[in-house]
Amino acid sequence: MRDLLKFGMVLLAGTSALLNPAYAQEKGTVYYMVPTLLDEFQTGSVSALEMFLEQVGYDLTTLNADNKTDLQQSQMNDVIALAPTAIILAAVDFNALAPSVDAAREAGIPVIQFDRQISSTVSDFTSVAGTIEIGYVAAEEVERLLTEKNGSVSGKVLQVLGDPGDPYTLDIQKGFEERMAEFPEIEIISHPAMMWEASNAGTIVSDQLLANPDIDIIFSHAAHLSVAAVAALESAGKQPGEVFVMSSNGAPVGLDLIRDGWMQVEVEQPLYAQAAAVAMFMDKIVAEETIEPGEYDVLGLPSELTIEEWGPTIKIPGAAITAENVDNPAFWGNLQPPTEPITPVE
Amino acid sequence: MSPRQRRVLELVLDNLVWFMLLAVLAIFSALIPNYFQPGIFANIVEQSSVLGVMSIGLALVVISGHIDLSVESVAALSAMVIGILFASSGIGLGLTLTPGWLVVPVSLLLGLLVGGAIGALNGFLVVKVKMNAFIVTLASFIWVRGLVVAVSGGRSAQNLADEVRWLAIQRVLGIPITAYIAILCFIGFSFMMATTRFGRHLLLIGGNQAAAFRAGIKVDKVLIIAFVLAGSVAALAGWLLAIRTSGATANLGAGMLFNAFAAVVIGGVSLKGGVGSLPGVYAGVLLLSSINTAINLMGLPAHYTQVIHGLLVLAAVLLDTFKQTIRKRLA
Repeated sequence: MRDLLKFGMVLLAGTSALLNPAYAQEKGTVYYMVPTLLDEFQTGSVSALEMFLEQVGYDLTTLNADNKTDLQQSQMNDVIALAPTAIILAAVDFNALAPSVDAAREAGIPVIQFDRQISSTVSDFTSVAGTIEIGYVAAEEVERLLTEKNGSVSGKVLQVLGDPGDPYTLDIQKGFEERMAEFPEIEIISHPAMMWEASNAGTIVSDQLLANPDIDIIFSHAAHLSVAAVAALESAGKQPGEVFVMSSNGAPVGLDLIRDGWMQVEVEQPLYAQAAAVAMFMDKIVAEETIEPGEYDVLGLPSELTIEEWGPTIKIPGAAITAENVDNPAFWGNLQPPTEPITPVE
Repeated sequence: MSPRQRRVLELVLDNLVWFMLLAVLAIFSALIPNYFQPGIFANIVEQSSVLGVMSIGLALVVISGHIDLSVESVAALSAMVIGILFASSGIGLGLTLTPGWLVVPVSLLLGLLVGGAIGALNGFLVVKVKMNAFIVTLASFIWVRGLVVAVSGGRSAQNLADEVRWLAIQRVLGIPITAYIAILCFIGFSFMMATTRFGRHLLLIGGNQAAAFRAGIKVDKVLIIAFVLAGSVAALAGWLLAIRTSGATANLGAGMLFNAFAAVVIGGVSLKGGVGSLPGVYAGVLLLSSINTAINLMGLPAHYTQVIHGLLVLAAVLLDTFKQTIRKRLA
């Protein structure tokens, strides 16, 4: 019996040691509610936030919602009960998570929106590239590529969306089509790749190449969809550059496709800068200090901070990556995180 | 009803899914611009290859009276292992073998080993530990997909070796070799089900496990083999998927399980076990791909495609139910 008790105590001590790591948390634990880990941007965001927050003295714990709204709501409830220093939320569903944001703030926990903006309720800080703006940048690039190819802004664009239930892809579509509406001679054919699954994108491209052999540009809303699109082009006997390929998010595989000559443009989401902005303002957010609007330099990117109805919002411009600048280490797809530590905003 | 009419009706009912496929192809060809062309039919056959192979494994287990929910995740893991080892971009290690063509059998063998091992574990837990197949394979569906995320770190492996990509690019009569591999699988497994002792035992076990046991059939052994085959065949589907998309992403194949189930049911396999044939399943897969292609060509607003897809699948299953009703009246 005594041995059993001893064993139980050792086990208890071991478990408690595992639950409470020995390292010191200077300023507390921040929870990051990541929507999914099935995409390279989100995976990259975990390591980027971890790195930048550590530089300013915070420990990061990440919870993955597997793209399930109800799971993320439950996670929010659990985390609120743990009373962390702050919560960083990249919402699965922009509206459904608003009550959870309110609940956290009522409990005195600051909430930061990362990458996915919630405008239906107030948050303490928002760091986004602006998904609609990504659509704008993509539209500008389509305008440029079609002029190069056809001599005028006219032609056929196949737009491969992500899952139609994901507001992220719908916002890019909104921004893209809003700008493209200025060019009536461009025909846009849009199809969703269900569940953001690559082979679904490949199927769409294979079918459309037969139904519309005069497609000029294929614009996918994520780089991994473009990989399947390129595989379909290759299977159809196309050569690099015969049909232009574009995508958004700037993932490593997209940059490789640019280097291989298959892809012409990637509209990057400035992952490192988005994460760095959160860390730069974290002290002020936690201390509930006033955040001043204006222009801030975030990892060399001039970023505009405005005070919106939903709280202070910093928008970091997405850039167009082409063959000319693809090796720029500032693009997160090159997986070379900045070596200089960031400086918190005073 | 005269014996001749009855024979004709029996023939139609036995092959209803093939007639449905022909009817659907005819309707789509007449109504949807650009649908009626050899390239589109080749696309349908190509698109059916991965789902088709996955459905074979699922059908084998369902015919035996059990269920395997893990096939989608097993395919993803097989694709990811192959992607990590033989792709050169992303997280791919870009392993090369000499001579280069060795990558084809080696990658296939590795995938089959991965799938076979998971199938064996499923089979052991269901048959020997007597756990419920639904729960065991649901758990596998979750942990195997988790393993895909864990080994990949959520990143992609792209740019598969040219020697293996050749199978997706090289076409014979306008159809890529990967599609012929799927067709060969259907022919081989159909032959196995129709002519071998194992196939007959599988049907008997699915019809009445206790009776099969009393008849001296080694039920446990046959069932474990069925699970191992389901895992291996799912891994083969993953191999084809990796070849088709030139690598693997962490969510590769997501959602295919439900289409595989739809194809199996439309193909005439009873979820209660003991009934079903693989040619019917292939027709079911072709039917789903035809519908999918039609949706791709119809230019519908993105938000409605899932609704239409679901309704068309429902219509196909309703027709199958109608078939069962007529068959009961004939009996």
